[in-house]
Amino acid sequence: MDNLAVSMQGITKIFNGVKANDNVDFNLRKGSIHGLLGENGAGKTTLMNILYGLYQQEAGDIYINGSKEEISSPIKAISLGIGMVHQHFMLARPMTVVENVMLGKKSRRGILLDTKETATELKELADKYKMNIDPYSKIWQLSVGEQQRVEILTAIYQGADILILDEPTAVLTPQEANVLFDMLRHMKADGKSIILITHKLEEIISIVDEVTVLRDGELIGSKLVDEHTTKEELTKMMVGRDVLFNFDKNKKAPGAVKVELKGLSASNDKGLPALTDFNLTVHEGEILGLAGVDGNGQKELCEVLTGLRKADGGQFLFKGKEVINQPPVFYINSGISHIPEDRMTTGLALNWSLKKNLIIKKFHKAPFSKNGLLNQKAIDAYWDKCQKEYQIKANSGEDHARALSGGNQQKVILARELDDHPEMVIANQPTRGLDIGASEYVRQKILDARNDGAAVLLVSADLEEILQLSDRIAVIYDGKIMGILPAGADTNTIGMLMMGHKQEEKA
Amino acid sequence: MNSKIINSIKQFVIAVLTIVLALAVGAILVRISGNDPAEAYTTLFRGALGSKARISEVLVKMIPLTLMALGMSIAYKAQLWNIGANGQLTIGAILAILPGIYLGLPTVILLPLSLILSVLGGALWCGLAAWLKNCFNANEVITTLMLNYIATYFLAFLVYGPMMDPDGGGFPQSKVLPDAYHLPLFSAQMRIHGGIVVAIIVILMMFFFWRTKLGVKIDLIGQGDKIATYAGVNVKKTVMVAMLISGALCGLAGWNEVYGVQYRLLEGLSSGYGDIATIIALLGGLNPLGIVIASFFFSALLVGGATMQRMTEVPYSVVDIIQGLVIVFVIARTAIHFGWPQKLLRKGKKDA
Repeated sequence: MDNLAVSMQGITKIFNGVKANDNVDFNLRKGSIHGLLGENGAGKTTLMNILYGLYQQEAGDIYINGSKEEISSPIKAISLGIGMVHQHFMLARPMTVVENVMLGKKSRRGILLDTKETATELKELADKYKMNIDPYSKIWQLSVGEQQRVEILTAIYQGADILILDEPTAVLTPQEANVLFDMLRHMKADGKSIILITHKLEEIISIVDEVTVLRDGELIGSKLVDEHTTKEELTKMMVGRDVLFNFDKNKKAPGAVKVELKGLSASNDKGLPALTDFNLTVHEGEILGLAGVDGNGQKELCEVLTGLRKADGGQFLFKGKEVINQPPVFYINSGISHIPEDRMTTGLALNWSLKKNLIIKKFHKAPFSKNGLLNQKAIDAYWDKCQKEYQIKANSGEDHARALSGGNQQKVILARELDDHPEMVIANQPTRGLDIGASEYVRQKILDARNDGAAVLLVSADLEEILQLSDRIAVIYDGKIMGILPAGADTNTIGMLMMGHKQEEKA
Repeated sequence: MNSKIINSIKQFVIAVLTIVLALAVGAILVRISGNDPAEAYTTLFRGALGSKARISEVLVKMIPLTLMALGMSIAYKAQLWNIGANGQLTIGAILAILPGIYLGLPTVILLPLSLILSVLGGALWCGLAAWLKNCFNANEVITTLMLNYIATYFLAFLVYGPMMDPDGGGFPQSKVLPDAYHLPLFSAQMRIHGGIVVAIIVILMMFFFWRTKLGVKIDLIGQGDKIATYAGVNVKKTVMVAMLISGALCGLAGWNEVYGVQYRLLEGLSSGYGDIATIIALLGGLNPLGIVIASFFFSALLVGGATMQRMTEVPYSVVDIIQGLVIVFVIARTAIHFGWPQKLLRKGKKDA
């Protein structure tokens, strides 16, 4: 027990009769990084909220540094040296970094604030862990990655030796994630113990010393992570079955050119150029994977192709016809489906029933509209069909879209976008925020659409996804295509292009 | 289907609770003012529903309130906060009365013509706000509110100036419409008039409205510009159409007041009906049936309240207070229902 920073034994937590944690053991060695792995809803966050004093367990004991503790509140947890960085940051945006750190802390200067001293100490601490943070900048001026650093810094400043990070990379770009991992390694070297809640396997393998896997609230097991650990075995622990990492992608010759973009240019919301001289072709029955770091023009491209944004110039040929800058309804009627990046604001009407969300683009067409009125029978029947076919888990079609999990929300969108055998599918980050099971399903459906003859433009920041599905891979950087590579291209080559290094002429 | 019915029952129960709560607090105030709440409410109830004539009065008030609340509900469903019902009623009434006073047309032509003019007037006044919103992103809450003042003072200008009745003894009102133009009464003893037929037709149409293509589109833009645009709806056009219809129904209420109740223009014609209609629309959950029920309740409250003031020591302001309390409770409920707090938080994040 001596070398354990945290030992949780037989933890059980019940919400409304459902066991969120069922007799779970969890041991964190001092000075190690411990991954807590599981699908959405596996009980990872619940377990950590118990450790941080946000929930009280129904059964089980917690030992911190060898002594048994009742953690009744986060204040108690902090006093025990436990810090937690939540997925959603708890920062006051109009205030400065140092002011945020000082919130809830007694000043050493009585009724006056000890801003200066705190700022100096904070700066020293930040430098120690190579976090480049100015204590006097306002929170709203910081990028998401920097805000996360402030959260971590606050926890450490409060004396945390045990740090809990809840899905820290969910909001970060790959580069920012690497910076974060470097920082975590520094902290580990400094003797801190870190718990990383995640469902990303790459992270487990690249940074974690030991992993504990939860499934449906139960402990599946813990194991040390070394170079022999494979994604497949972790996945099997997490999902309980083998997952197809290699889709059965029958090779087939690409069909006719369906979409041709020539010299396309467009601006982003700030009016700055987002796409410049952008050229791309997508064939029938082909998945063209567009790889790239977020914010390099992917969003604007998808919007131009669906009429949600006006292009500044260039040509968009669809089946040989010029169709640039038409209203969205034109593209919908042309059979161009769009799985948008943002499910919550663009993809779904969250306060509408699932049934109505399914027909959001075709409520005015037969059979859903009859004599000018909605045809409830046809709508009900369509929901039944789609629910079965796309395995949407919901109590009833009358449920609001808001009530569904991310994976099931995405299935509703898939059903709506793919059920009519579209000519073209634009899928923008289709599996972002989904767990492995749901991601696998979404990818399979996209592949089905391709096999069905659709021209698919798959935009993803997830290189693995691009490599799994694409027939050809295009890399976008700063609004331009850096190069087009065949399926199975080397990750390094793609990575270089994603960073903006132009392809060699011969390639 | 089942969860739909449960939902409607839930909404109904909440609406009734809102009213009961408001009446309960009102009772405490009556008590404090040194009167007997039981007596006050009995008088109020009898005053509203105690005889055929009283019920007829309630219906007379219900016509404009229901029309306007239905109009409001169309805008509100699209998250367009039209609070200019008073102004739209006023402009509708002004346009409607012009041919009646100045043209001398046969009744069969005049009544439909004036009705159309009232609808156009209301639509124009509300459409102006929609145009400002579409072109300049002007907040419709501000513009519709400001247009109220313009309409009110324009009416005042007319009835004190060019349209003032020369034989009216200096009262700020226009000439009376010829008897032939008055909407027919059902009984000489009661004020309930033919306008109720128009109101019933509108109510029936509204029962189908949310299942029409246009209704679905308006509902969809209320779910957010992004999702609506994504689904192929032309947001600006739909905003305009929703506001035009919303204003048209308020203008129609103006026609009713002029041809069914007042028979002339006079200062303060709208009597603040627009504000009450706003409460009715929200209390009724933007649902046509809910609106009719809520409108009945408020009309009874207005008519009964006047009786209560005459027959007891309880001041009419108690009725105003009950109205105010209903507003507070409805807004509290609506805020939770539409998730305003979360929305504001999200907005704050985005702005930063």
